[in-house]
Amino acid sequence: MATSSDKEDAGKEGPPPLDDFTERLDRMRGEHDPGEEKSGSGSGAAWGRALRASSDLLAGLFVGTVLGLLLDRWLGTSPWLLLVGIGIGFAAGLRNLTRSMK
Amino acid sequence: MQGFRVASPMEQFEIIPIVDLSLGSIDISLTNSAVWMLIGTGAIIAFFFAATRRAAIIPGRLQSTAEVLYEFVSDLVRDTVGPEGRKFFPYVFTLFVWILVANLFGMIPSLPGLPKAAHTFTTTSHLVVTLALAMVTITIVIVYGFYKNGLGFFKLFAPSGQPFYMYFLLVPIEVVSFLSRPLSLAIRLFANMFAGHIILKLFAGFVVSLIGAGGFLAVVGILPFIGAAAVTALEFLVAFLQAYVFAILTCIYLNDAVHAADH
Repeated sequence: MATSSDKEDAGKEGPPPLDDFTERLDRMRGEHDPGEEKSGSGSGAAWGRALRASSDLLAGLFVGTVLGLLLDRWLGTSPWLLLVGIGIGFAAGLRNLTRSMK
Repeated sequence: MQGFRVASPMEQFEIIPIVDLSLGSIDISLTNSAVWMLIGTGAIIAFFFAATRRAAIIPGRLQSTAEVLYEFVSDLVRDTVGPEGRKFFPYVFTLFVWILVANLFGMIPSLPGLPKAAHTFTTTSHLVVTLALAMVTITIVIVYGFYKNGLGFFKLFAPSGQPFYMYFLLVPIEVVSFLSRPLSLAIRLFANMFAGHIILKLFAGFVVSLIGAGGFLAVVGILPFIGAAAVTALEFLVAFLQAYVFAILTCIYLNDAVHAADH
């Protein structure tokens, strides 16, 4: 029996050989275009996006403020580094925001 | 009217020790939170054990579900991190499935009349849990980033193509932005689960109070009931979406670690 006819009768005589399966799988994987579909839309996604934006902004501000506060306590420069920290934290929050909304 | 006691929407988040344990002065009691983590982990292990026990070319129902999950995360890792991301697949997969199961198990209604300790508990509605997960992610990013790129990892904090004086401002901003990532990751998951469950309990509480009030108000009670049903559906979506968001952001951060030197 030739291998070509093996492939054609595969459906009747049992599962096709695994090598063949891998070949087909690889071919289909090759056609798959990555990064095509993203998460869906709708009110759930909008709600998710809103919380995402707020958490990004909040986290940046929080980390900046805490860093400023700790540095102040360490170096005894209160309140200047706290003020700088808040500013940089806010900027970092916006940076997070622009990155995640991109 | 006296017969109804409407539970406070915050009561569901209460940590209740079930078995008191301590290690020296540290309290390591088995709490309801820990129990639900164990239940979730156990369920995942049992599920994948059952799904892969009799692996067939033509998959059964369980195996199909497991394969869909596998492919979903596998595509996610490949699309975001690229072929180098393969080695992170086990971590991202574990993270995704664990968070998904923790979120979904929190949606199981508690049986009425049970003691509080036996109520269902959403482990991901606590900031400690999500923060611990985010810390693991960021630790992997930092350790692998330095292992892969050496000191080139610091290029992550200095986006190229800026006049040199801008770096005095940009580097602190990028450093704070990097440090805030685990926090942002943790807050996002925690806030979603926390807020969703509070809204759910509030609507449910309204139904009970309105029906308890009787008369015309009992008829109005149908409105929060519809609301509660809608929010329940939304919460299932959020449970999935947040597990997905956590996984995809982990991938994005890992991508930074892998490709830090290319910036």
